[in-house]
Amino acid sequence: MKNMTLYVDKDSFIHNIDPLTKLLFVFLSIALTYILPTHLFVICVLAFTLLLLLAGKVFKYILPVIGVSLLLIISIIIVQGFFHPDRATLLFEIGPLPIYKEGFAFALLLTLRIINMVCAFGVLILTTKPDDLVESLINKGMSPKIGYVFLSVLQIIPQMIAMTSKITDAQRARGMETEGNLLTRIKSFIPLLGPVVLNSLNDTRERSIALEIRGFNAKGTKTFLNESFHFKYGLILKIILIITLIAAIVWRVVL
Amino acid sequence: MNSIRVENLTYKYPNTDTFALDGISFTVKKGEFVGIAGMNTAGKTTLCFALSGLVPHFFKGAYGGDVFIGDMDVLTHEISDITAKVGLVFENPFSQMTGAKFTVYDEIAFGLENLGIPRDEMHRRIKESMQFLDIEALGDKNPFSLSGGQMQRVAIASVIAMKPDILILDEPTSQLDPRGSEEVFRVVENLSKEGMTIIMVEQKMEKLAAYSDRILLMHEGKLIDSGPPADIFSRADLLNFGVVPPVYTTVAKALHLKNELTGLYPISLEEMPASGITNGDIRTISESLPLTKTAGPEIKVKDLQFSYNKDTPILRGISVTLSGEPTAIIGQNGAGKTTFVKLLKALLKPSAGELIINGTNTKDTTAAKLAGTIGLIFQNPNDQIFKNNVLDEVMFGPLNVGQTPEVARLNAEKMLERVGLLGKAGENPYDLSLAERKMIAVASILAMDTDIVIFDEPTMGQDARGKAILKDIIHGLHAQGKLVLCILHDMDFVAETFGRTIIISNGQLLFDGPTRIAFSEADILHTARLEQPHITQLARKMGYDGILLKESELIQE
Repeated sequence: MKNMTLYVDKDSFIHNIDPLTKLLFVFLSIALTYILPTHLFVICVLAFTLLLLLAGKVFKYILPVIGVSLLLIISIIIVQGFFHPDRATLLFEIGPLPIYKEGFAFALLLTLRIINMVCAFGVLILTTKPDDLVESLINKGMSPKIGYVFLSVLQIIPQMIAMTSKITDAQRARGMETEGNLLTRIKSFIPLLGPVVLNSLNDTRERSIALEIRGFNAKGTKTFLNESFHFKYGLILKIILIITLIAAIVWRVVL
Repeated sequence: MNSIRVENLTYKYPNTDTFALDGISFTVKKGEFVGIAGMNTAGKTTLCFALSGLVPHFFKGAYGGDVFIGDMDVLTHEISDITAKVGLVFENPFSQMTGAKFTVYDEIAFGLENLGIPRDEMHRRIKESMQFLDIEALGDKNPFSLSGGQMQRVAIASVIAMKPDILILDEPTSQLDPRGSEEVFRVVENLSKEGMTIIMVEQKMEKLAAYSDRILLMHEGKLIDSGPPADIFSRADLLNFGVVPPVYTTVAKALHLKNELTGLYPISLEEMPASGITNGDIRTISESLPLTKTAGPEIKVKDLQFSYNKDTPILRGISVTLSGEPTAIIGQNGAGKTTFVKLLKALLKPSAGELIINGTNTKDTTAAKLAGTIGLIFQNPNDQIFKNNVLDEVMFGPLNVGQTPEVARLNAEKMLERVGLLGKAGENPYDLSLAERKMIAVASILAMDTDIVIFDEPTMGQDARGKAILKDIIHGLHAQGKLVLCILHDMDFVAETFGRTIIISNGQLLFDGPTRIAFSEADILHTARLEQPHITQLARKMGYDGILLKESELIQE
C-alpha cells in the first residue's frame, strides 16, 4: 500500500546529516532570500540548495514539485508584471498585455524565492525519514501526541482513500450507477459521505483503544528504538548556519 | 495469588437501558487459560473491556462492583497503569495498527518505546515475538500493505512483546484461514505454559475446548457457569445460551459415549475412542439437491487473469463454469478469492480472459447494470450500510434495480424476517451489533431478488444461531433455482452446506468438484493451508475410511 511519504531511500552525505540541522538549513535558506533581496544573491542561495539536492541524489524528485508550483509562478509573473505599482518601463507584451520591467523584476525575485523554498524543503523531506524527523523533534521536547498526528496522517489518508473505493464498490454492487457523466458522478458522491465519515469515526475509536493498550499515555520516560541521529559534524554545521544568518543580518543592517 | 478477581461487576453503557454486565464474579489464577463462550449479545467483549480498564475509563457509563488485576483496583488506576499488565487483542486487525510506524518491526516497537524499555531489550523482544508468530519475513514491510491475517499476527506480536501478565484475546482468529488460526492458538497456549494468564473469547468451540483450562459461559450479561470444558459442554441446556458444543461432544452424545466415572462427554478429538464408527453406520446424503428450474443461471469463466500491477499477478488463469448447486470457494488468506468474486461482479475488469454471465460478457457492462443479475454481499457490512433506518437500507438495492416502492417494501420486509431482524426495521443500523449489521447487508442483497447471489465470508462473527439462519437461506435460494457462491474459512460450514467446492490457492484453481472429494485431497488441502472439517477428522479417527461431512449422515440407533 502507498503512503504519502516523499522520502527517497538513497545513500548520500545529505541523508546522513541529522534532521534538525537540515530543518535549521530550511529556515536559514528561506530567511536569507528575504534578508538580502537582490537577484544575484537569491540565485546564489538557490544554486546552493540545488547543489545539495544533487549531492543527495534526489534532484529529479524535486522537478515534479516545481512543476506543480509553476502555475502559481506564471500567475505571479503576469499579475506583477502587469499591475506592479512602480510600472514605468515597458519590457515586452504578451498579446494585449504589457509587461513592465519593474514588475517583472519583482516577480522574478518572488519566483526565485518560491523555487528556493520548495527546494529547501525538498532537501529536508526527500532525504529524511518522517519518523526520524518527528523523533528528533520529540527528543527536543515536542509533544509525542503532535508527533503522532504528523506521522499517522501520512498513512491514514491513503487508507481513507482505499476505504472510499471499497464503499463505492459496495454501492455499485447494489445498483447505484457511479460510472458515466458528471451528474451521475456527483449524485453518487453524496451517499458516500455517510459511511466514510462513520467508518472513519469507528476506526478512530478502535485505534485510540489500540493506542491506549500499547501504553501511548504511559507517564514514564519513553525510549526510542532507533538511536538518536548521530552525526558528528551536526554541531559545527549548526554553528556555521547560525553564523551565516547573523552575518547576513549584519550585512543588511550595516550596508 | 489470583491474577484476576472480579466481584459483582455490573456495568451499563451510556444511553442504554440494559446492563451489558450484570453481577459477574469470578477469579482467575496466574497462568490459567480461560475461554469465554456465549452468543453475540452475551457481553463477552464488554467483559474484555472491563478487564483491561477500558470500561469504565474509556467507555463511561454506570459501573458497580470491583475488578482487581493482581492487587490493583481497576477503578482507581489509570488505563496506562492497567495496560502495563494487561494486553488486549481484538477482532479488527486494521484498526490495531498505530499508523505512526512505517515498518512491522517499528510497529511492534511502538508499545515498548512507550513503556520505556531499554534499546537492547527492545530489539530482543521484537525478534522473539516475531519469531513466535512466524512473521520474521515481514519485518521491513509496511503494516498496511499486509493481508488481514498477517496484520492480525502483527497485532498479537505487538501486544505480547510488551510481556503483559494477562493477555486478553477477543475473537482474534475470525479473519484467519484455518491453518493461521491454529497457529495463533498454539502460540497462545505456549504463552500460557510460560505463566501468562490468557482470557480468550472465541466462536470456534472445538478450539476453545481443546485449549482452555476453564470456560466461562455467559448469557445476557450474566455469568451462567464456570468450569472445565467437559463440564460446560456436557450441559444439556447449552443451546438455550446460543452455544453449540464441539462436534466431538455432539457425536459422543449421539453415540452415548459418556465417561462412566465422571458422567461427562468427551470434548476433543484426542478423547474420542479410536473405533466405534463402521462404514455401515454412515449413510451419505446425496450432494445435489433437486432443482426446481431446469435452465438456471450460469457463469462461464475462461482463462481469467488479473493483476493490479504487472509484477504481482493476483489471478493466474482460472477457467471454470459455475451453475446449479451452491458452491463454496475456499483457500488461504490472500489467495485471490475476493478478487475473483469482484471480477464476477464487474467491480474489476479482467487483465486477460473472459467472464460470461448468463450470456453477457462483463466487459460490455457495468457493476450497476449487473446489479439485477448478481448480488454480492461484502465481507465488511460497514462498507455497505449508509441509510439511517434499517428498512430504507434494505429497500435501497431493490429500488435501484427497478422494483416499485410497494414491491421493494414487501421484499425488504420478507428478507428482514428471514434474517430475524424484522423487529428492528425502524432502528438505525449503526446502533446494532456487527453481526446484526452483517445480516442487514445479507437482507439488503436478497431483497434485490437476483439470479446469482455471492456471499463473502458470511459466517464471520456469527454465532450458532446466525450460522443456522445462513444455512437455511442458502438452501432456500438454491430451491428457488438461484446460483449461490460463497467464500468461506469455516470448513464445518462448508461441509454442512455446500455440495460443490472450489479451492483457490495463489491465484490458481487447485480443485473443482464435489465437497466430499475436496476434503479427501490431502495434498491440495495442505497447499491451500486448509484443514478437514472437525467431523471428518473425527469419523476418520473412529474407524470410518470415507469422508463424513454432516452429523446427520451418522445413523443413530
